[in-house]
Amino acid sequence: MNRIEVTDLVVRYGDVTAVDNISFAIAPGELVTLLGPSGCGKTTTLRSVAGLETPTGGSIRLNGETVYSQRRNVPAEKRGVSMVFQSYAIWPHMTVFDNVAYGLRVRKLPQIEVRQNVERVLDLVQMQDFAGRPASKLSGGQQQRVAVARAIAFSPSVLLFDEPLSNLDAKLRAEMRVELRELQRRLDITSLYVTHDQEEALAISDRVIVMNDGQIEQIGSPEDIYNRPLSRFVADFVGSANLIRGKVRGPSGKNQTLIFDAEGDMRLEVVAADESRGGQEMAALRSSYVHLDDPLETHNTVRGTIHRRMFHGDFIQYVVEWPAGQLIVRRPPTELFEEGSSVTVSFAPEHCVLL
Amino acid sequence: MRSLKGISLRHIVMPLVVLLCGALVLYPIGFLINESLNVGDPSAFPPEEYGLDNYINLIDDYHVLTNTALVSCIATVLAVIFGFLQAWILTRTNIPGRQRLERLMELPYYMTPLIGALAWGVLLGPKTGLVNQAWRSFGAPGDLFNIYSPWGIAWVMALFEGTVAFVMISAAMKSMDPSLEESSRVLGAGKLRTAVRITLPLVAPGVLSATIFVFAEMLGSFAAAFVLGIPGRFYVVTTSIWQATLSFPPDYGRAAAMGLSLFVVMLVTLTLARLVLRKGTYTTITGKAFRPREMDVGALRWPLLAIAWGYIIVAVILPLGALLLTSFERFATVIIPQMQFTVANYTTAMQMGSVGPAFINSLTLAISVSTIGVLVIGVLAWIIYRSRMPGSTAAEYVIMFPQAVPRLVFGLGLLWAWINLPIPIYGTLWLLALAYFTVFLPLGLRTIASVVLQVDPSLEECARVCGAKWGYQMRTVTMPLLRPGLVAAWLLIFIASVRELGVSIFLMGPNSKVIAPAIVNSWLSSSSELSAAMALIQTATIFIAVAILFGVARRFTGVTQ
Repeated sequence: MNRIEVTDLVVRYGDVTAVDNISFAIAPGELVTLLGPSGCGKTTTLRSVAGLETPTGGSIRLNGETVYSQRRNVPAEKRGVSMVFQSYAIWPHMTVFDNVAYGLRVRKLPQIEVRQNVERVLDLVQMQDFAGRPASKLSGGQQQRVAVARAIAFSPSVLLFDEPLSNLDAKLRAEMRVELRELQRRLDITSLYVTHDQEEALAISDRVIVMNDGQIEQIGSPEDIYNRPLSRFVADFVGSANLIRGKVRGPSGKNQTLIFDAEGDMRLEVVAADESRGGQEMAALRSSYVHLDDPLETHNTVRGTIHRRMFHGDFIQYVVEWPAGQLIVRRPPTELFEEGSSVTVSFAPEHCVLL
Repeated sequence: MRSLKGISLRHIVMPLVVLLCGALVLYPIGFLINESLNVGDPSAFPPEEYGLDNYINLIDDYHVLTNTALVSCIATVLAVIFGFLQAWILTRTNIPGRQRLERLMELPYYMTPLIGALAWGVLLGPKTGLVNQAWRSFGAPGDLFNIYSPWGIAWVMALFEGTVAFVMISAAMKSMDPSLEESSRVLGAGKLRTAVRITLPLVAPGVLSATIFVFAEMLGSFAAAFVLGIPGRFYVVTTSIWQATLSFPPDYGRAAAMGLSLFVVMLVTLTLARLVLRKGTYTTITGKAFRPREMDVGALRWPLLAIAWGYIIVAVILPLGALLLTSFERFATVIIPQMQFTVANYTTAMQMGSVGPAFINSLTLAISVSTIGVLVIGVLAWIIYRSRMPGSTAAEYVIMFPQAVPRLVFGLGLLWAWINLPIPIYGTLWLLALAYFTVFLPLGLRTIASVVLQVDPSLEECARVCGAKWGYQMRTVTMPLLRPGLVAAWLLIFIASVRELGVSIFLMGPNSKVIAPAIVNSWLSSSSELSAAMALIQTATIFIAVAILFGVARRFTGVTQ
């Protein structure tokens, strides 16, 4: 049985349609991410699941029970979900202990159980030494941990995350990402996670739902989304991709690849991620999948010139002039080419995906 | 389901509160409009005949209009000069002790124009004024200055409104991004060129809107023109409205027409001020707090320091000193051999027939109005800014309406409205309480709203998601977070109630006297020594209340910080 089931959800504010008829389901123990730019409707979807937003149409089921439909709207406090807010929403007038104990006290648990549970979850987020601290005297990262502890303290069936890491600095964010995933796996708690950070979404999710303009662009595993984008939007928004214009000529006759006549008079071998989609006039090529002067890669070899080299530390980004204009290529910092030198560009057909 | 019932209860309570407060605000204004069109028997209700005669007859009162324009213009120019100088000195120069001076600039606001007018009457009244006495004792003929004149009234009003101008202009100066000036300097412009080409144009909209705002306030101000104008039979619009209601038979129609015209003129002027501010402020106001660059003024800082302190002395210390001296004397004098000191004025003030009770009444009113007001307005603020109830913007406009109406005009409307109701509350404290509550709605709403808007909605939402019902969430999260705002609103309404004059002067009866009108009556009918004592008791009450509540507020905000 699915923990969360959203069917034909529509949310409208006056003339603006924030969420336009979307459906998805989340299995027990799964972590699913809603990924998209700001204003794409991801947070509205999450808040509708929490009961903080009243949808216009569709239905929402939690643990098999309908919490929202045209005839029924269960208020937020009765849905049994829990949520980590973007601003953490740590109550500044309470101690860390009182913050975490809130959901337990609302449920009128006996003192001793409240104490045990609070200690257990503060342990989990490594904040056991801060229980007596006023919540206003915490750093951003500590507030984040308390917010997570508070959200899991009353053992909710479903956990919602609203961009929980967006207010942390880059280093802390990378650390917390690992910890959150660790915690979610350990507690085996069904989670719906909203973020606009594609790297974060790919790193922590079982499945990613890419949203744009109130609609779902693609649902799939992180590898799926990265390797086989279904639309120009997904190719552009997730990771770094080159878009190549052209026209499909027909099947190449081997390995189910297709022949693609690209601009600049190039004949490329490409794959179609999904035959049912796309006008077959554009292909996406991830910049990390392009090889430079690699004798082992024999497909799609084209001559080009290094126009610009930018050293990023973890990788080098090259701007390569090739027949179709400029191509962005990312190589490990060990593969060094001088600006102006000529190179052979090559890439495997399965990495050049028709949109 | 209980929660569903809770929601429906909220849906009944909210419109009810909004409607009730809306009625309190609009009802007196409706009466005022009705009465201004009454051309039949002025005391008949409802009017027997409608017409525009009351408005047409306003032309006969042209001298009142020119008086008002004269006084308002002089006072505005003076106030803006005071405010601009103080703002520039205190925000942009490096004179010593700026922070303390900035805090002292609040004092004239707590002093009120009534106290200022009394004090300057004591200082510069013809013949009896302390300064004029000293002047004559040096053998000079006549008075140094007669405060019972348009210039005198303007002077007192300017001293008080100078603080308002200061607050508005220094806000404009503080919110200016210093990098705008710095880039001018980096590009090679000198100090003076930067000041003329960059600083002034950026501050100009703030100054202009402050000027218009202050002018509108001057048009509707009452206390100074009343205390200093009545003895010399010099009338401005507000005082002649009051005069019209006292004549026999009371000319309510004329008063109402005058009041409404004043209201319209003020409304237009205030709208203009807001437009100027919105159009003229480029993007200098970003909501970010900048630390403005201080200019090193070198040796000039001593004269500038003298100017800054001079304003505090003239606006606060000198008037309070004069009142203090007078209140302890048998006859007001500065000629040392003639001085006779006594505490009789204070004992009289506390005992005298209706004066003692007036203090008690004022305190009772202030405490109960601010307590009930904070509770009701707290709910109102939550409804308007949080509930997303349809029509909450309209509700906000209605609740904020009394702010645009001159206090005295609103008082007139209330008087006329409640006299004609078959509920016998005219002449009782109940009516005063209702009136105070109505006119202080905007004050309370603005104060509490600023805190409501600061509280992140997710703090409340999180409580809901954690399983708390609306009531539990209000008690454990919303109310504790709003507490500093509620305390501040209580304090402001308390102060405003203790010193309320414009509404009280119409609505108090023989058994419901309050302090500010009592002081005015004592000034006009008996001695300045007694009035000085009463004024000081009122001022002390306000200062003590401020001190206590700042202490309390500090403890609360200490917890929430």
